[in-house]
Amino acid sequence: MMVNRNNYDVNATPLFQVLTEDQIEAIYYAALSVLYETGVRVYDKEGVDVAHAGGAIVEETTERSSLVKVPHYMVDKARATVPSKVVVIGPDRQYKMELYKNQIYYGGGSDTPFTIDPYTGQRRRSTYNDVKNFARIGQALPNYDFHMSLGITQDTAVGTYDRWQYLAMLEGISKPINITAVDIEGVRDQLEMAYIRVGGKEEWKKGPIFSLYIEPVSPLSHSQEVIQKLLFCCDNDIPFVYTPCPLAGATAPTTLAGLLVQALAESLFGIVLSQLRKPGSQLIIGGLMSNMDMLSTIYCYGSPEMALLSAGYTDITKWLRVPEYETAGCSDAKIFDEQSAMEGAINIATAGLIGGNMIHDVGYLDSGLTSSMEQMVASNEVIDMIKRILRGIPVTPETMALDVMEQVGPGGHFMEHDHTYERFKTEIWRPQLIDRQNWENWNMAGAKRYGERVHERVIEILETETEPLLEDAMFKEMRRICELADARHKSEELDMKMFV
Amino acid sequence: MSQILEQIATGIIKGDLQGVPQLVQKALDEGLDAQQIVQNGLIVGMGEVGKRFKVGEMFIPEVLLSAKTMHSGQELLRPLLAESGAAHYGKILMGTVKGDLHDIGKNLVGMMCEGAGFDVIDLGFDLEPEVFIEGIKTHQPDIVGMSALLTTTMRAMGHTIKAMEEAGLRDKVKVMVGGAPVDADFADRIGADGYGHNAVSGADTAKKLLGTG
Repeated sequence: MMVNRNNYDVNATPLFQVLTEDQIEAIYYAALSVLYETGVRVYDKEGVDVAHAGGAIVEETTERSSLVKVPHYMVDKARATVPSKVVVIGPDRQYKMELYKNQIYYGGGSDTPFTIDPYTGQRRRSTYNDVKNFARIGQALPNYDFHMSLGITQDTAVGTYDRWQYLAMLEGISKPINITAVDIEGVRDQLEMAYIRVGGKEEWKKGPIFSLYIEPVSPLSHSQEVIQKLLFCCDNDIPFVYTPCPLAGATAPTTLAGLLVQALAESLFGIVLSQLRKPGSQLIIGGLMSNMDMLSTIYCYGSPEMALLSAGYTDITKWLRVPEYETAGCSDAKIFDEQSAMEGAINIATAGLIGGNMIHDVGYLDSGLTSSMEQMVASNEVIDMIKRILRGIPVTPETMALDVMEQVGPGGHFMEHDHTYERFKTEIWRPQLIDRQNWENWNMAGAKRYGERVHERVIEILETETEPLLEDAMFKEMRRICELADARHKSEELDMKMFV
Repeated sequence: MSQILEQIATGIIKGDLQGVPQLVQKALDEGLDAQQIVQNGLIVGMGEVGKRFKVGEMFIPEVLLSAKTMHSGQELLRPLLAESGAAHYGKILMGTVKGDLHDIGKNLVGMMCEGAGFDVIDLGFDLEPEVFIEGIKTHQPDIVGMSALLTTTMRAMGHTIKAMEEAGLRDKVKVMVGGAPVDADFADRIGADGYGHNAVSGADTAKKLLGTG
């Protein structure tokens, strides 16, 4: 019998939802009130002028800043031109990130002062070589889609580390990168380096190979550096992440809905300003949102609130139709251990299930102070599992397999059936580092813990020789930009070795 | 007599912002010495708060309320203590260095120091070395505390200490530093006198530098 069952096998992806549409709207209109009545403090004259010219109210102007209040209609206008899709590609065009509703991409986190040495296990300050090696790990992991430095080059000049950091990343990875910059000069230098990498400005227009990470300060404060970076990105067609990092109980209300309202108000200001500067400017909003631990005062990367807030915010950005910056694969553990695996797994799951777009901080430990290759490798496998869960259970005559059941009959088995032979590899997930042997075989193979197998994989990747990603001439040209930057800023450095 | 001092200490632990100043006044009216009220009332109370916080029985918002309560009690006694030339509780000048807008950590240290009895002058954030220098000249603190969240702005700590040396002020103050990317090693390298790895440790370090902790 033919029955019209049009879309019965769609919606196979399991859905996770934190906020209803009504709740999202309540938060949105509350954020509009915050922007209009409380306002945001802007520490850049040019930014204030752009907002003012667009209709904002400017009050309480001091030498350094003004209070800017944004009427609702300015947000509506900005929403009309802000892109619902942002694309960042890898320099060889082999990798592509298309950021829009429900498209999930996982990647690293940036600028960790410390790192866990992969050979000694020691926690120490990170170096140029570490940044390069973290990039190489990222290149080797199939579920790692974009990169952030997972270190700071602290054996280079400090004030211009961002250029060296970018160079180190380009040496190790050809996936899209989310960079940081000291200031707009740092962005400009890295843009020059990117032009060299892709072959010029016109090539960049065909697909930017980095986005810039910009972080306003909560609550409701937009520094000069932040605003200048935003304006520079708009003027130069650089997509950017505009994300506050509010802390429940410290720099945001302790009640989570209040934090979401504040975070949204902070991000919306970025949207308003960018669209005023250049309609169609590409940004990704979001945040690292979490609670302050009220005993240790740390910023919690592994807490249930962090996972919940990020997911709730994703619901909001899906409704807004703006690409989103999410957070996962991170932990407050100081080393890669049971805690880091557990916290990372939970937030990876919630981020994937909610459909976060640019899900960053894979590999982050110690509340964002320390990077770990083991955390990256373990997270890669967790992401793989989550992706399997997200494939859901399609319900079709073929997948219900009534005819197969009929053939096998009560008491039979399916192991030799054609249906199993044809489907088992695509239907069922297979682990890489997760162990499924029986006890005897596991024991004979060395009775290894999961952490040991992850560690072995890290070393394996580091010691596998790969083709250099940069030709010598190109590398030298880019290094020259770094050296020139160092020379220009030499007087700002301390006349002593700061670290290492 | 000691009953009222006990009540003051308990009031501090409970964060009784209204009640403690009243009790302090009552203690004065009953003829108790200001210094005694501070030592055996206020400081005993805060000491207990510190103990409970360290074992996880009290939390930051509660500690801050207790600190605020102690501070309100202390304000009443300040003129009397100044008159009698009693022990100086220490003045600390705090700020986030140039290029850095992050101040929640600094604010927390400041509040903890107030709770420890210090006079805290907070100069704000994004401060040029010159601002610290002016602050030292104006307020004559015992300790200068500098904070930074960004690795790039840590350099400003070194520059500020150098500026203090050039202004001939370095030996007039103790310098302590803190913030997420800072560590004891860096503090040593730039010639700071102390390093606080978190807010509580910052207040403890301040006490040590003053010789009272």
